[in-house]
Amino acid sequence: MSDAFEPTIIAFCCKYCAYAAADLAGSMRLSYPANIKISQVPCTGRVDIVHLLKAIEDGADGVYVAGCMEGDCHFVSGNLKALKRVTCVKKTLAELGMEPERVEMFNLSSAMGPRFAEIAIEMTDRIRKLGPSPVRRQPQPEAAAE
Amino acid sequence: MIVADRKSLSEIQDMVRDCRKILLVGCKGCVTVCNVGGLKEVQVLAATLRIAAKIEGRPLIVEETVLERQCDPEYVEMLKPVVDNFDAVVSMACGVGPQFLSEAYPQQRFFPAVNTTFFGGAVAHGIWEERCAGCGTCIIHYFDGMCPVARCSKSLMNGPCGGSDHGKCEISRNINCIWDMIVRKKTEQGRLNDLLDIVPAKNWQTARDGGPRQSRREELIQNG
Amino acid sequence: MNLQKTTEKTGSVMVVGAGVAGIQASLDMANAGYFVHLVDNSTSVGGLMAQLDKTFPTNDCAMCVISPFLVEVGRHLNINIISNSEVESLEGQAGAFHATVRNDPRYIDIEKCTACGQCRQICPVTAINEFDCGLDLRKAIYIKYPQAVPLAYAIDRSACIGCGLCEKACLAEAISYADTPRRTVLNVGAVILSMGSSVYDPSGLDTLAYGRHPNIVTSLEFERILSASGPYKGHLMRPYDREIPEKIAWLQCVGSRDINRAGHGYCSSVCCMYAIKQTMIAKEHVSTPLDAAVFYMDMRTYGKDFDKYYTRAKDEKHVRFIRSRIHTIEPLKNGDLNIRYVLESGDVQEETFNMVVLSAGLSPPPSAIALAGRLGIDLNAYHYAQTADIRPVNTSREGIYVCGAFQGPKDIPQSVMEASAAAASATETLADVRWTQTKVRELPAEVDFSGQKPRIGVFVCNCGINIGGVADVPAIREYARSLPHVIHVEDNLFTCSQDTQEKIKQVLVEKGINRVVVASCSPRTHEPLFQETLREAGLNKYLFEMANIRDQNTWVHMASPAKATAKAKDLVRMAVAKAAYIEPLPQVMLDVTNSVLVVGGGVAGMEAALGVARQGYQAWLVERGHQLGGMARQLRSTWQGEPVAPYLSDLIDAVHRHEHIQIFMETQVVHVTGTIGNFTTTLVTQDDEGKEKSTVIPHGAAILATGGHEYAPTEYQYGAHPSVMTHLEFDVAATKQDNRLLSAKLAVFIQCVGSRSAERPYCSRVCCTHSLKSALWLKTINPDVQIFILYRDIRAYGFRESLYQKAREAGVQFIRFESENPPVVSLTPGDPSEPNSSRLSLTVTDHILQRPIILNPDLVVLASAILPNENKKLFEAFKVPANADGFLVEAHAKLRPVDFASEGLFLAGLAHYPKTIDESIAQAKAAVSRTMNIVSKTAIMVGSVIAVVNPERCAVCLTCVRTCPYGIPRIDPEKGHAVIAAVECHGCGVCASECPGKAIALKHFTDEQINAKTDALFQAA
Repeated sequence: MSDAFEPTIIAFCCKYCAYAAADLAGSMRLSYPANIKISQVPCTGRVDIVHLLKAIEDGADGVYVAGCMEGDCHFVSGNLKALKRVTCVKKTLAELGMEPERVEMFNLSSAMGPRFAEIAIEMTDRIRKLGPSPVRRQPQPEAAAE
Repeated sequence: MIVADRKSLSEIQDMVRDCRKILLVGCKGCVTVCNVGGLKEVQVLAATLRIAAKIEGRPLIVEETVLERQCDPEYVEMLKPVVDNFDAVVSMACGVGPQFLSEAYPQQRFFPAVNTTFFGGAVAHGIWEERCAGCGTCIIHYFDGMCPVARCSKSLMNGPCGGSDHGKCEISRNINCIWDMIVRKKTEQGRLNDLLDIVPAKNWQTARDGGPRQSRREELIQNG
Repeated sequence: MNLQKTTEKTGSVMVVGAGVAGIQASLDMANAGYFVHLVDNSTSVGGLMAQLDKTFPTNDCAMCVISPFLVEVGRHLNINIISNSEVESLEGQAGAFHATVRNDPRYIDIEKCTACGQCRQICPVTAINEFDCGLDLRKAIYIKYPQAVPLAYAIDRSACIGCGLCEKACLAEAISYADTPRRTVLNVGAVILSMGSSVYDPSGLDTLAYGRHPNIVTSLEFERILSASGPYKGHLMRPYDREIPEKIAWLQCVGSRDINRAGHGYCSSVCCMYAIKQTMIAKEHVSTPLDAAVFYMDMRTYGKDFDKYYTRAKDEKHVRFIRSRIHTIEPLKNGDLNIRYVLESGDVQEETFNMVVLSAGLSPPPSAIALAGRLGIDLNAYHYAQTADIRPVNTSREGIYVCGAFQGPKDIPQSVMEASAAAASATETLADVRWTQTKVRELPAEVDFSGQKPRIGVFVCNCGINIGGVADVPAIREYARSLPHVIHVEDNLFTCSQDTQEKIKQVLVEKGINRVVVASCSPRTHEPLFQETLREAGLNKYLFEMANIRDQNTWVHMASPAKATAKAKDLVRMAVAKAAYIEPLPQVMLDVTNSVLVVGGGVAGMEAALGVARQGYQAWLVERGHQLGGMARQLRSTWQGEPVAPYLSDLIDAVHRHEHIQIFMETQVVHVTGTIGNFTTTLVTQDDEGKEKSTVIPHGAAILATGGHEYAPTEYQYGAHPSVMTHLEFDVAATKQDNRLLSAKLAVFIQCVGSRSAERPYCSRVCCTHSLKSALWLKTINPDVQIFILYRDIRAYGFRESLYQKAREAGVQFIRFESENPPVVSLTPGDPSEPNSSRLSLTVTDHILQRPIILNPDLVVLASAILPNENKKLFEAFKVPANADGFLVEAHAKLRPVDFASEGLFLAGLAHYPKTIDESIAQAKAAVSRTMNIVSKTAIMVGSVIAVVNPERCAVCLTCVRTCPYGIPRIDPEKGHAVIAAVECHGCGVCASECPGKAIALKHFTDEQINAKTDALFQAA
């Protein structure tokens, strides 16, 4: 069963670096797992703790935020704020008994197409090893009818 | 403002373990300003509780709302249409909130999601410090704007104890000795002699020692 | 459109040649207040770039990059594309030319043709497809390529048999066999020539057997073979038997650097890079390992990030680079090709390949040479437009300018840069007639959809076979139909093509669609285009969402079509989910400050300031030092031998005298706020007593020309002996007629000092040319001197090759060394009582003899690297990025070479990359042209994706005030809540994420919208 496990991973990518790097990975025809789905944001500083928890709640097996290199944020420091939020969510996951590694922060420049593919592969491998999110693992009861 | 800290997740989970449907109520007052109980924190806690329930495979509905303030009955009143739809209500306001809620809706159970800690302010974004102990008799003008009641670990009023060490309190290296600061400022301003006056024993009746307090403003109280 | 001839100055201009340079020049001028006639002798615009598969060094798809430009030029209100036409004559003078243009018949009425393709279906005649270099066929009635602009068919009458079938089939009645040439007279104030290049035809070189065997192709043919829309649909096959090649050879310098057989004594400048690109792309095209070998003389990877590209090909992609001369190619019976070549050592070798690509050089098209003759402009020895280094885009006839490959062989960014430069130069004298000939577009009022439920239209793109060839587009389309709020779905071959855009507009109106989702390529490249279509259909442009199912899907999941289809459905579902929540966002009209700040008082900065001033706008020129001139103060002459000093003193003088220029010497930029159209910059000037004075400058745009400097070598005994000097020191010594130069008996130039090293992995571009020029000068002044140039590759690109040739003729000896075995310079102590009496000794391993040679030079000139000036604080103040080498990073390496990604900011000169003085001048002028797109307007529209405060939720907690990286939010004490000024907000959304009361929303990226996408992804399909 676990051999067939294909995780679903959402990647919040900033428009200026990570999203452009993903496009570059495309231009370079690099191959990475189709498990990664990108949600574009103008800056990783826009990615809120609430958005990350929402993805986990919805059943994401993995979530990552990908922004510009540290010091190169198009909006000065959004990527540093994003890192703090990711760290905070990791703590929450630990409290919940979930593997904090399901959530990650990455930094790359728009010129790093190969790195984008690498990250996608790395994240997919990591989550494959961890198995499905515990949120999805349990048969979900219908919530209390009212 | 009143400063508070979020309770640990496990503590909150224990409170609502037997519930299938709960309401989280934030407050737009102090706890929003200190980033612990506004709408955002309500959303964060709600999502976290829902994830926890899903992991356990346990049904749980968490709804979210915020009141203008939980320390005024009129705002509290606004929960009336929905309050009975839940197995419990979790307040993210200071300690006042759950009590006002309980008084208004005696049939419902209310749980605090935060620990109310002190009266203070933000010294930097994300860092709050205690400044007032609510003693009922303000004396900060004797000490150039620094309150030894709230800020001295021992609430000493006539100079530091013997534990002050290079400006730090013997209780913790992270606490500034307020007496050190008072002396320093008085010295700078050439008014060190002020401290020769003995501050008489403080009347603690106005503080918590006199029992629960009430503040009345006759001109404001509406008769009839 | 016959116009009355007039002798008055006109605000219209003509651009001849609609390749990438012509397009850029047209857009720049049309956006800065001039009406542009864009004339091309082909049926469509796009030029050579449209035929390319990918572009170096980013490997961007050429068509993807250029197609938004094609569409923009095609739909621009102030650009009149005159296709299929030749300029016959040009009368009048600068400011008031009369151009007679012959419009050759297309036999199809562009206005009527819908490009439906019915005619092509029934046309019985096949002809050679020139666009695919003859590698496949087309019909006699044809469209050059799917994204062609203008998108209309044409009849090739040389093939047409006149059967009349197409005329019967054409429901639009667009066909007109009786079409005859017409003539149009245009009144134009200036002319820009951008006729581009043709590719050398190697048929005449019989030893290469081109034309005698189909598996020997030119580089352009190979581009078409690689292209997804090419003859083999992007499958790498050799023409002879359609087998997948396992070994391909690239032969460099075919028709370049070849006086004997090709008559082309120049270097074509682009072939080394495109060959490397082709090796890498070819390797990606096949699943089996491909052995790629490049046979070359010098590897000329002299541009920005080029050397890294070369290294990547060599070290990571294992491309073989073989320094050699080709003897012959011999076709074998099985279609393979045997190459005989000679190594540097003189050894003759043979190797067999499955296919050979000839890296054919560039040359001016015969039609361009003929036109130049009719216009009476001077050409150089190789029939390119003759220009001076200090006026790089001026032809010999006043009012006629040149840019791109007709000025000299060059790559795309250099062409684009020159195009902007030509635009600035051409309009300099027309500043007073700006906005006199332009038209204004009447846009339909935006339809108010408030209160309506979402009615979503989904347009899925096949992108030729880029998407449709991998994912199941019909299945994606039908899936979209099942999604909530979707009322219309369709798929198109190319959603970005002009006809599809028109079709979409109609559908939007007919069906009352109020939200649009396009599932195609990347919003990064195509969102503005689709948004414009929406706007023309009366929709606010933000009622739009894209699903990136090509760049981030079919291109990366080519091997798993089922997964690509499933993922495309996920992405479409996410986009539709967000679309249901998107709302129209009004734009804010913002007044523009009509002035430009220029930072840096070198040649680039001064040319930029002067250019702005001559366009009639105020320029503020800031220089941190105490004198103007920068690095050029030490330069002796340009590569063509034009003296720098008189040019520089004239320039300094002109800058000082111009009424629209204010100069701030010994001044630094300390603080910058604002955005495009309205920046406010604080300058601090140090006065003589060291006191600081600050000045606040409002400006609409800024040009950073902060320059560079020479590397101070630590190698080759520099500093230890007076006769070891750098390039610039050589120039200074030459000016002073220094005895070290005049009396030298043996001079050695050492190349790549501090360049192409691990620490600085880039080529400094100018050094080879400078050494060649210096060696030739030294020979002239001191004929007995023996000169050696020690080099790794001689990178005398373009016409600079002539210097290399002359240097060899003059007896300069060239010794190549390997980077791992550089020359060694040592000092032999002389008489201890006499200072500087020690002697220099140099050892270098000769690449031909394979043994060390010892020289005792009395002059050693080091070609030391060019480094960008240290400006960390300045770059931070403008928030502009620098790369690992410290050079500023442009918005796009190919098509936006002088823009920063941040709007309103531009760059020029050495701060961008090492370059020669003519290139710096061109780039400075280009930057001027780009700023004119902003400051020539009275107002621009801004805003939309900005943070907005909901006062009811605001707890005035100050979180936004404290966390905004730009300090924009403030608490309004009267309103009692936070306010964020729309024009100042950068739109990052940090405040929206930090706000504890959720009182701030970033428009277009609200929590609701972001969460809707997430929810849609995880909701079971």
